[in-house]
Amino acid sequence: MKNRGATILAIIGAALLILPLVMHDTFVLRVLTEGIMWIGLAIAFDVIAGYTGYLNFGHGAFFGIGAYTIGILMMQANLPFWAALPLGGVAAGITALIAGIPTLRLKGAYFAIATWALSRAIQQLALNVEFTGGPDGMRLEAFLNPQFFYYLMLITVGVIFATLWYLLERAPFGLKLKAIREDEEGAKALGLNPTKLKMQSFILSALPTGILGGIYAYWITFIDPSSTLGDLVSDQAVVMVVFGGMGTLFGPALGAILIFAFKTLFWAYLSDFQLLYLIILGALIAISVIFIPNGLWGTMVKRKAGATRPEQKAEPASEPAALSAVAAPEEGN
Amino acid sequence: MMELLPQALTDGILLGGIYITIAIAFSLTYGVMHVIDFAVGEWIMFGAFTGYYLNKWTGLDPFLFLPVIFVLYFGVGYVIQPVIHRVLSGTKGNPFLMGLVFTFGLAIMFRGLALTAFGFYSNSIPSAFSEGSFNLEPLGLTVTIPTVRLVGLGYAVAITLILHYLLKKTNFGLGVRALAQHKDAAGLMGVNSKRTGSYVYGIYVGISAMTGVLLGCILSIGAQMGNEYTIFAFFVVVLAGMGYLAGVPWAALLLGLVQSIFMIYFNPSHTLLAVFAILYIILLISPRGLFGKGV
Repeated sequence: MKNRGATILAIIGAALLILPLVMHDTFVLRVLTEGIMWIGLAIAFDVIAGYTGYLNFGHGAFFGIGAYTIGILMMQANLPFWAALPLGGVAAGITALIAGIPTLRLKGAYFAIATWALSRAIQQLALNVEFTGGPDGMRLEAFLNPQFFYYLMLITVGVIFATLWYLLERAPFGLKLKAIREDEEGAKALGLNPTKLKMQSFILSALPTGILGGIYAYWITFIDPSSTLGDLVSDQAVVMVVFGGMGTLFGPALGAILIFAFKTLFWAYLSDFQLLYLIILGALIAISVIFIPNGLWGTMVKRKAGATRPEQKAEPASEPAALSAVAAPEEGN
Repeated sequence: MMELLPQALTDGILLGGIYITIAIAFSLTYGVMHVIDFAVGEWIMFGAFTGYYLNKWTGLDPFLFLPVIFVLYFGVGYVIQPVIHRVLSGTKGNPFLMGLVFTFGLAIMFRGLALTAFGFYSNSIPSAFSEGSFNLEPLGLTVTIPTVRLVGLGYAVAITLILHYLLKKTNFGLGVRALAQHKDAAGLMGVNSKRTGSYVYGIYVGISAMTGVLLGCILSIGAQMGNEYTIFAFFVVVLAGMGYLAGVPWAALLLGLVQSIFMIYFNPSHTLLAVFAILYIILLISPRGLFGKGV
């Protein structure tokens, strides 16, 4: 089972690597590049939301901070792209640190509010200061090489995926985060430092997001507060992760692929009804929450596990349920 | 510049008064359901548009519609709350996270619906009170008070008093307070958490919608107005301490003052940034709100 999963991943990876060599359609390449970027954004979002259980409704802020950092460093400090790119991630990480200090000590409700407010605040800031170009946005030096950006995005997201896979699924770090998610008091009793771990996971979520934002800025060559820092980036990240399945790496990736494919088709055929897209996003969140709270991936995996090992079906299903039943009244107080 | 100060303070208090009604109902809902409703601004926006269209069709003063709008949106909230309750009491996944995500999804959907139906234009609701204003001259300084804002403050005081009475003097209020303290124990004492939750959510949606009409008369309405008021509601509730009702009026007045002082003395477009900066500092120094009594 595990080997088969690895094989499938390797095949997909190889196919994605070879694709630009055999296919020269720029439009398809562009769509794929953005799709891969969304996979990266969704899995990075899931680190804090799915694994740690703290909802970040302002994921787009870190994306925008990365984009703006690269834009400003390249256009105003004349830094080369490769020097600016890591700094975009660092800027996003530092913002996460600053925003996390007052809010991650508190309950999740505060964090959800604070991150959402942060994204609004960053947008306001970009609109009101001079060095971002205000509402007009800023234009970057154009480097028109679709293949370059395709490979850059693919490799970056590949590295993000591998790093997160190791940290969250192989190293103890992931288990610690899950312990906080399931029962924060219990995790504390086991000698973990929840505030520090939450901080680390928030930074781990923000840093790659900033880097992806930086690549995006250089690729698209134009950034402005309404597109790069608007709520659509955050909203889409939430939909992708909730619809795909929180607390895994494959769920958000699956959600990202499906939602992005839907978005591309929608934009291609129904571009006159752009507002309808917003309604569908919102409805999709609400419907996923009610009918598939574990997301598509979680539901699929559970069904599969239930089909192959019927005698163990009840146990893995009831354990998290019991845990959350214990945790629920505590959150209620 | 000093001669503008009384005007700034008056404007701030009049505006802050209206924020009290938004935040007090919002805080109450959080206290009972333990979930933040991200759609608070959208309820305000829907209420404002309902008032706008009712006024357009009938030509009557929007203040006459307030009870109608309350009843209408009370019904909407009463119908929607069981869905949120179901999400919150689910056993799959993390119910608390799902509740938050659910209201976040509702907010996105509502915003999309409003933008589709009403477009990007901004408007205001005409009322008999909109035109008038009167001057006060304390200590030789002139302070202008628009009638509509004074009526708004009167409305806010009335709503606050009614809610206070409801919470402190009735059996229903006792049940609500018990639920806010301990859900399971309240259930054992015979409080029907489902029905009480529905009533509270209905009251909250109704009050938010009514306040929307008022804000439409005083300021303006637009399909995108929701975001701003969601931020204000969050600001007030966090400043007061989440779920601590007694702190709400002071936090709301502070917000009104910050806003009016920035309007007059600084760059108005920096108001939101100032609001965020204050929020950040408060969270850093006293995370449980100004009074340290939040949950």
